[in-house]
Amino acid sequence: MELFWEIVISALLVIGGFFGLVGSFGLVKLPDPMTRLHAPTKAATLGVGATLIASMVWFGVYKDDLTLHELMITIFIFLTAPISAHFIAKANIFRDWKQDQLPPPAGNGNWAVHEVESDTSAEELQEAEVSQKS
Amino acid sequence: MSPALIAALPFLGAVLPALLIRTGRSHAALAAGAVSGLALLGLLLHLPAALAGQVITAKFDWLPWLGLNANFMIDGLGMLFATLILGIGLLIILYARFYLSNQDPVGQFYTYLLLFQGAMVGIVLSDNILLLLIFWELTSLSSFLLIGYWKHLPEGRQGARMALTVTGLGGLSMIAGMLILGNIAGSYDISQILLAKEAIQSSDLYLPALILILGGAFTKSAQFPFHFWLPHAMAAPTPVSAYLHSATMVKAGLFLMARLWPVLAGTPEWFYIVATTGLITMLIAAKIAIFKDDLKALLAFSTVSHLGLVTFLLGLGTKVGAVAAVFHIINHASFKAALFMSAGIVDHEAHTRDLKRLGGLRHLMPITATIATIAALSMAGIPLFNGFLSKEMMLEEAAHTAWLGSPYVVPVLAAIAALFSATYSFRFIAHGFFGPVRDDYPHKPHDPPFGMWASPAFLATLVVLIGVMPITFAGPFVQMAANAVVGGDLHMHPIKHWHGVTPALIISGIAVVGGLILLASFKPLKAAWEATPRPEAKAIFDWIVGACGAAADWITATLHNGSMARYLTLFTIGSVAAGFWAFSGGGLGPETREMLPITPVALVGWVMLVTASASVVAFHHNRILALVLIGIVGLIVSICFIYLSAPDLALTQISVEVVTAVLMLLALNFLPKRTKRGAGPLKHVWHIAIAVVTGLGTGGLIYTLMMRDFAFETMSKYHLVNSHTLGGGDNVVNVILVDFRGYDTYGEVTVLGIAALVIFALTEALLNGASSKKLIAWRPDVPRAGDKHPIMLLVGTRVMMPIALLVGVFIFLRGHNLPGGGFIAGLVVSIALVMQYMASGFAWTQARQKVYYHVLIGLGVLAAGITGIGAWFNGVPFLTSDYGYVKLPGLEKFELATAAGFDLGVFLGVVGSVLLALGGLSRLARRAAVGAEPVHAHIIAEKPEARSPEQPGAFPPETLLPQRWAQARGYTSARQDDADTKPVKAKKTKPTEAEEQ
Repeated sequence: MELFWEIVISALLVIGGFFGLVGSFGLVKLPDPMTRLHAPTKAATLGVGATLIASMVWFGVYKDDLTLHELMITIFIFLTAPISAHFIAKANIFRDWKQDQLPPPAGNGNWAVHEVESDTSAEELQEAEVSQKS
Repeated sequence: MSPALIAALPFLGAVLPALLIRTGRSHAALAAGAVSGLALLGLLLHLPAALAGQVITAKFDWLPWLGLNANFMIDGLGMLFATLILGIGLLIILYARFYLSNQDPVGQFYTYLLLFQGAMVGIVLSDNILLLLIFWELTSLSSFLLIGYWKHLPEGRQGARMALTVTGLGGLSMIAGMLILGNIAGSYDISQILLAKEAIQSSDLYLPALILILGGAFTKSAQFPFHFWLPHAMAAPTPVSAYLHSATMVKAGLFLMARLWPVLAGTPEWFYIVATTGLITMLIAAKIAIFKDDLKALLAFSTVSHLGLVTFLLGLGTKVGAVAAVFHIINHASFKAALFMSAGIVDHEAHTRDLKRLGGLRHLMPITATIATIAALSMAGIPLFNGFLSKEMMLEEAAHTAWLGSPYVVPVLAAIAALFSATYSFRFIAHGFFGPVRDDYPHKPHDPPFGMWASPAFLATLVVLIGVMPITFAGPFVQMAANAVVGGDLHMHPIKHWHGVTPALIISGIAVVGGLILLASFKPLKAAWEATPRPEAKAIFDWIVGACGAAADWITATLHNGSMARYLTLFTIGSVAAGFWAFSGGGLGPETREMLPITPVALVGWVMLVTASASVVAFHHNRILALVLIGIVGLIVSICFIYLSAPDLALTQISVEVVTAVLMLLALNFLPKRTKRGAGPLKHVWHIAIAVVTGLGTGGLIYTLMMRDFAFETMSKYHLVNSHTLGGGDNVVNVILVDFRGYDTYGEVTVLGIAALVIFALTEALLNGASSKKLIAWRPDVPRAGDKHPIMLLVGTRVMMPIALLVGVFIFLRGHNLPGGGFIAGLVVSIALVMQYMASGFAWTQARQKVYYHVLIGLGVLAAGITGIGAWFNGVPFLTSDYGYVKLPGLEKFELATAAGFDLGVFLGVVGSVLLALGGLSRLARRAAVGAEPVHAHIIAEKPEARSPEQPGAFPPETLLPQRWAQARGYTSARQDDADTKPVKAKKTKPTEAEEQ
C-alpha cells in the first residue's frame, strides 16, 4: 500500500514539475505577448495544482493529518489566475494594438478597453443600486 | 474629602457641561456649578482643621524614582487660594450663564473653565513641585483655550497665543529653577523643601534657581517687563477676564512666591529683585491704566499694578509684609472680580466699554453703578472699604523700607503709585457712571437680570463687610494663610482702621486728594500722554515672534528642503559615519561560528534577489516597472523568512507588500510615470559611491555579526523560554507583540491610527481647499483604458471575499500559538476589502460599508485599552494577560487568552488605519474625476446615511430635539404651529445631495 501512495505522490510531483517546466519554456519560447500568456497559466493551474495535491496526499498518508489548506490554495489560484491573465490580455490590447489593427469583437460595440468611460460591470453595479433602494 | 479628590473633581466634572449643553445652557451651567460647589464643600469641610493650623495631606506614589509623587496638602495658604478659586469660580459660572449668548458654544466654555479651575486648584494644593509644574503648565494650556474662546476674533486668538507664549516660556524657566531647588533640598516635596532654608540660601545655585523660578512667577503674574500679555488677554469674554485676572491665573505667580517665601525670601537678592520689580510694575501699570479708555483695559492695567503691589509686599521679606500681601490678595480678588463683572454688564447692556462713549449710567443702571462704585472706591483705597486696609498696610511697610540706603525712594514711589491708583479708580466711576445721561449709547442700557448682578453684588457686599469689620470677616483667614506663608509662629496684629496719624495715613490722604486733582485736569494730561511716544509691547512681541519664526523657517528650509535625495544622503552618510566611528573605536572578537553550507535553494533565492535588485537599479526610470521589481524583492525576502523559519514575518511581509503596492499605485496615479534624469554625472558618481559604501558597510557588519556569538545574552532566549508559561502562547512572536511588549504594541496601534487620521485630514484639506482646483484641473498624463470595472474581476473578488475574510478570521484565531495574529489578520482583511474597492469602484463599495473606518480605529484602541485595564480587576498591572483553554465540539481545542482581546484591538486598528489611509488617497483621484460637481458631493457619497433621503442627518426622523438648539443648527420643527416650547422632530431643511454617480 505504501508503494502505491509513493507512486501516486511521485507521479503527481513529476506532472507538476513537467508542467512547470513547460510553462517556463513557453514563456521564453513563444513569440508575442498574447501567445506567451498561455504558458504561465498552464504552469500555475496544472503545475501548482498537481504539486498541491501531492502535498495533500503526503500529509494525509504519512502524517495522518489530512489538511484542506491545499484545496483552499487551489481555489484561490483557480480564481486568480484567469483574472490576472485577463488583465494582462487587456493591457496588451490597449497598449500594443491600435484600434484599427484589431478584428471587430463579436456583437455590437467596440473593444471595451478602447472605449473611453466604458464599463462592463455598469449593469451589475446599477442593478445592485436599484435593488438596494427598493 | 481628600485633597486629591478636590483637585480631581473639576477635571472629572469637565465632561458634564460638554455633554449637557445638548439639553440647554442652564443645565450645563448647573452641572459646572454643582461640580465646583461640591469641590468647595469638600474643601470647606477641612476649614476648621486648617484654621487650627493643621495640614491635611494625601499622598500617592506616581514616579517615585523621579521624585514625582502625587502628593496633595491643604495648609492655610492652599486653603485660602483654593477657596478663592472655587468660590469665585462658582460666582463666575452663575455670571457666565447670563453673560454668554445663545450663539456662543457655552458647553465648551464651562468645560474649559472647569479644566482651568482644576489646574489652579491642583497648583495650590500640590505638595510636590514637579506635580505643581504639571498643573502650572495645565493652567497655561487651559487659559489659552479660555482666552481664545471667541475663536472668530483675531484679537482673541492673538491674545491667547501671546499669553501662552509668555506664560509657557516662564513655565519652562520655572521647570529649570524647580529642578535646581529640588536638587539642593534633596526632595521635590514642598513640605520637605520648606525645611531646607539654610541649605538653599547658602547654596551657590541659590541665585540661578531664584531667577529661574521668578521667571515663571513674574510671567504668570504679569510683572514688568512681562506685563504686556495681560491687557491683550482682555479679548476674552468678560467672565474669563474676571476669573483669570482677579482670583486665579495671575495669582498663581503670587501663590508660588508666597509658597516658597520661607526658603527663598529674606535675602538681599530676593529683596532687590522681587520688591523692585513689584514697585516698578505697580507704578508703571497704574500710570498706563489712567489713560486707558476701554473699561477692561483700564482694569487690566490696574490688575497688573495691584499684582505689583502684592509682589512688592512679598519682596520685602518681612512677616508684616507677608500678612499685608495675603490680606491684599483677598481684597483684590473681591473688588477686582466685582469690577470686571460690572464692566462686563456695562458692555453687555450698552454694547460699548469705551469710557469716552459712556457716562451717566448711574441713572440708567443704578444697581450696577452702586456695585461698581463700591468696588472702585475699595480699589482707590477709601476708608471703610477693604482695599483701604491693605493699601494702608502696604504704605506703612513702604514708609519703613530703605532701598540701597536711601529711605525716600520706596515711600515716594509707593505714594505716587497710590495716587495713580486713586486716579484711575475715580476715573472709572466718574467717566463711566457719573455725569449727564447721554443719548448716543450704541444700545440703551438698563440693569441686567438678577442672575447677572448677583455675583458682583455678593462680592461688593464682601468688600464692605471686610472693610468695616476686617477682624470678623477676614481676620482668621489672613492669620491662617499668613501663618502658612511665613512658616508658622506668626503673631498677627489686629487689623485696625485707625493707627493714629501715621506716615501711611498721610500718604493715603495725599493720594486721594491728588487723585481727585488729576482727574479734574484729565483732559490736558490725556493730550500730553497721547503726544508722548512710548514703546508698543505688542509690536515688539510680534517682531520677536516673527524673527524667531523666520529663523526657524530658514533653518528648516536649509536642512529640510523637500528633496528626498537630500534626506536620504544625509541619513545614509550619518549612519555610515556613526557605524564607522563605532567600529574604529572597538575591537573585534574571534569568529566563533561556522559558515553554513550554501544549499541550492538558498543559492537560487540569492541569485533572484540580486537580479531583481540590480534590475531595480537598471530600470528605475520606469517607475511602474520599478514597482513590480520591488515586489519581486519583497516576495523573495518573504521566502527567505520562511526558509529561515520565521513564518510570521513571512506572512506579514507578504501582506505588507500587497498593501504597499496598492498604495504606490495610488500615488503613481498622480506622479509622473518616469523619473527624469536630473543629476549631473558628478552627482551621479557621488550617489553611486554612497550607495556602494553603505551597501558594503551594512553587508560587512551583518557578516561579522553573524559569524560571532553576541557579546551578551540576547532577550530572545527569555522570550522563548517564558512564552508559554507567562503568556500562554506558543507563537513567541505573537506573545511578544501582545504580552511581553504589549505596551509598545498599544502605542504603535495608536500611532498607526493617528497617522491614518492625519492622512485623512490632509486629503480632506486637499479636497476642499484651494488645492481642490488643482485636483479638478488635473488630467491623467497617460491615456486611460476603458472598462473601469471588468466584470471578471468583479465576480472574482465577490466570490473570494467570504473566503478571504474566513482566512483572516482563521489567521486571527490561531495567532497565539501558530503563525498569525491580529496584525496579519488585519492586513489580510484589509486586502480583501481593498479588492472590493478596486473591482467595484470606490463609491459602490463605500456605500455598502456601514462602519466608518474612523470608528474602527477608535474601537481598536479602545478594545486594546479595555483589555489592558481588565488586568487591574485581576489585581495585576496594566496589560497582564490571563488565559485558559476552551474545547468546543467539532473544533480543535483552542486557547482563549485575554491577549486575544488585545489582539482584536490590533486587528481593528490595522483594518481601520489601512483602509482609511488608502481610501484617503483614492478620494483624491475620485475628486479629480468628479470634477465640477458640488464641493461636498464626494463626502456625501462616503457617508452611508447621507445617501438615503429617509435619513437626512445624524438623527433618525423621530428623534426629539430641543427647540432652540435645533433651530440654531438648521433643523425645523415638524409642527411649526405649536412649536414654541415643545421639542421638535429632526428634519433638516437643507436639501441632501444624496444621489451619487
